[in-house]
Amino acid sequence: MQNIIDVQGLKKEFKSFSSRSGLKGAFRDLFTRNYTIKTAVDDISFTIKKGEMVGYIGENGAGKSTSIKMLTGILTPTDGKIVVNGMNPHKEREKFVKTIGVVFGQRSQLWWDIAVQESFRLLKKIYNVPDQQYEEHMKDVIETLDIGPLLDKPVRKLSLGQRMRCELAAALIHNPPLLFLDEPTIGLDVLVKLRIREFLKRINEKYGTTILLTTHDLSDIEALCERVVMLDEGKIIYDGPLKELRENWAEGKQIQFQFSEEATLEELQHLTQEHLVVWEKGESDLVWVASVEADETVISGVIGKVTAAKKIADLKILEISTEEIIRNIYVEGAVRHG
Amino acid sequence: MEYISIFFQYVGQYLKTRLTYRADMIVEIFSDLLFQAVNLVFILVVFGHTNLLAGWSKDEMIFIYGFFLVPFSIFASFFNIWDFTDRYIVKGEMDRILTRPVHSLFQIVLERMELESLFGVVTGLVVMFYAGDKLGLEISWYDPFIFILLVIGGALVYAGIFIALATIGFWSDSRTDIMPMMYNIGNYGRYPVDIYNKVIKYVLTWILPFAFVGVYPSSYFLEREEWYTYAFLTPVVGIVFFLIAVTLWNVGVTKYRGAGN
Ligand SMILES: Nc1ncnc2c1ncn2[C@@H]1O[C@H](COP(=O)(O)OP(=O)(O)OP(=O)(O)O)[C@@H](O)[C@H]1O
Ligand SMILES: [Mg+2]
Repeated sequence: MQNIIDVQGLKKEFKSFSSRSGLKGAFRDLFTRNYTIKTAVDDISFTIKKGEMVGYIGENGAGKSTSIKMLTGILTPTDGKIVVNGMNPHKEREKFVKTIGVVFGQRSQLWWDIAVQESFRLLKKIYNVPDQQYEEHMKDVIETLDIGPLLDKPVRKLSLGQRMRCELAAALIHNPPLLFLDEPTIGLDVLVKLRIREFLKRINEKYGTTILLTTHDLSDIEALCERVVMLDEGKIIYDGPLKELRENWAEGKQIQFQFSEEATLEELQHLTQEHLVVWEKGESDLVWVASVEADETVISGVIGKVTAAKKIADLKILEISTEEIIRNIYVEGAVRHG
Repeated sequence: MEYISIFFQYVGQYLKTRLTYRADMIVEIFSDLLFQAVNLVFILVVFGHTNLLAGWSKDEMIFIYGFFLVPFSIFASFFNIWDFTDRYIVKGEMDRILTRPVHSLFQIVLERMELESLFGVVTGLVVMFYAGDKLGLEISWYDPFIFILLVIGGALVYAGIFIALATIGFWSDSRTDIMPMMYNIGNYGRYPVDIYNKVIKYVLTWILPFAFVGVYPSSYFLEREEWYTYAFLTPVVGIVFFLIAVTLWNVGVTKYRGAGN
């Protein structure tokens, strides 16, 4: 299949200048300025095929937004090669952006003062969308996102969730084959999130729209993306199926004990010394969590030893959540391959 | 051609929005008028004492001011970019502009237009006709065409200078007072350049060519033949400065760093 996005050795450095103190410093600044280089995106390569939905994740400051801005032609890369939809984004910007849709959750793409509908009309003109195509396509979009009643309100009077749905619709006016979403669900309630996910799934199935999505909400990724690309300090540390990530990391189980009496770490470690167990304190003094291998004898062994020695009020066996897997990866800073 | 149709769509939208806030529009036109009246009074006060300034009469000065108002108002209506750095670079609004398939500068012109300022064109024409009548100037059939050409040239000079200044924002987003300063310098173009010393005259002609917005083109209508070369250079200077500015802009866009959220 054909690659929609092809990125090779992409890099972005930001120079930030600092000024020296005092009059003498200011004078020296005139000639040579001190600066530090921050490498926001550090030599990354990946390809995305048509119709894929890819989750682009990483901690704050990992370089996600910076990469998206380069892929959409907003920023010029310091180094590296980008081909998106067969074009070089920042070289042929005006032609290129007709083939993509962009939503930045942190920033509005619509005009603040005018009604949503009017914004759509201006965008229709800007993208030069024929009436018929607009009618057909947008009717569907407006219905699925349920924004019909909002159309005649000015954007500044919309709630965040209402605005985000309109932003999505606006990004799709020209029905682009490729959609970039930078934190599209930030600050939204569960219902709106669900609706947006449904919608994205639908356009992906219906039009084969390729979607690259960043988010801090991993349930978005779990619901939508089979593939994740994980970024850390500007470098890709994992690129592959979400499933594999889970399997390689979620080998263990967690047993959560709520005791009725005080327990100490030494005491618990002593009790379970014949098994490989990592004890961690839970939410309160009485709650302790044992991370163990996903093995029946170990699990029952640990539970047996502990319940025989201490009074417990509650007991839970937990799967390790994706959330936690990701956190572990961040902490270790690298991905184990299975 | 597509740009023209986009332009009219924006104008339509603009008028629609503005007509719902009619009071604002009237206040704005009124304050513009007041500002222009103050400038006229200033000229009258200066000429309260003398009748000639470096060989220019009061009515000629008033005529130049009238002419100046026309290209200036056109500039002011479409090139509201004095706060470009703050609005588009520091706040990162440029991100949005750059994801749309229309030239970025054109989009900013469309978003920031203030069509009320076009009322200044009317004021300018009234002032010119008043002064021209007192001076007994004749109008030939081709004068309106030359007028349009010179006005476009003058507006492009203004636009060129201010676009070039705005592009500084792509390289450095620190605050400067250069924009208001430049508006002040622009006002010097309203007066005959031979009342200034050589250096200022040179600057106003070749470096910050504000003289091509007021005194040079006006001299054609005032039939001051010694300035005709400059008068007819107006469209050329306008186009050259505008093209330089757009080139700088295009380079600047590739240096855009965005706001780190
Ligand atoms: N315009 C800029 N100038 C200087 N540094 C910048 C700029 N934009 C981003 N950076 C730096 O680059 C790094 C990556 O930023 P980026 O916004 O891409 O992170 P991110 O992964 O999107 O984070 P978040 O999850 O917080 O949105 C950060 O360290 C940031 O400080
Ligand atoms: Mg970001």
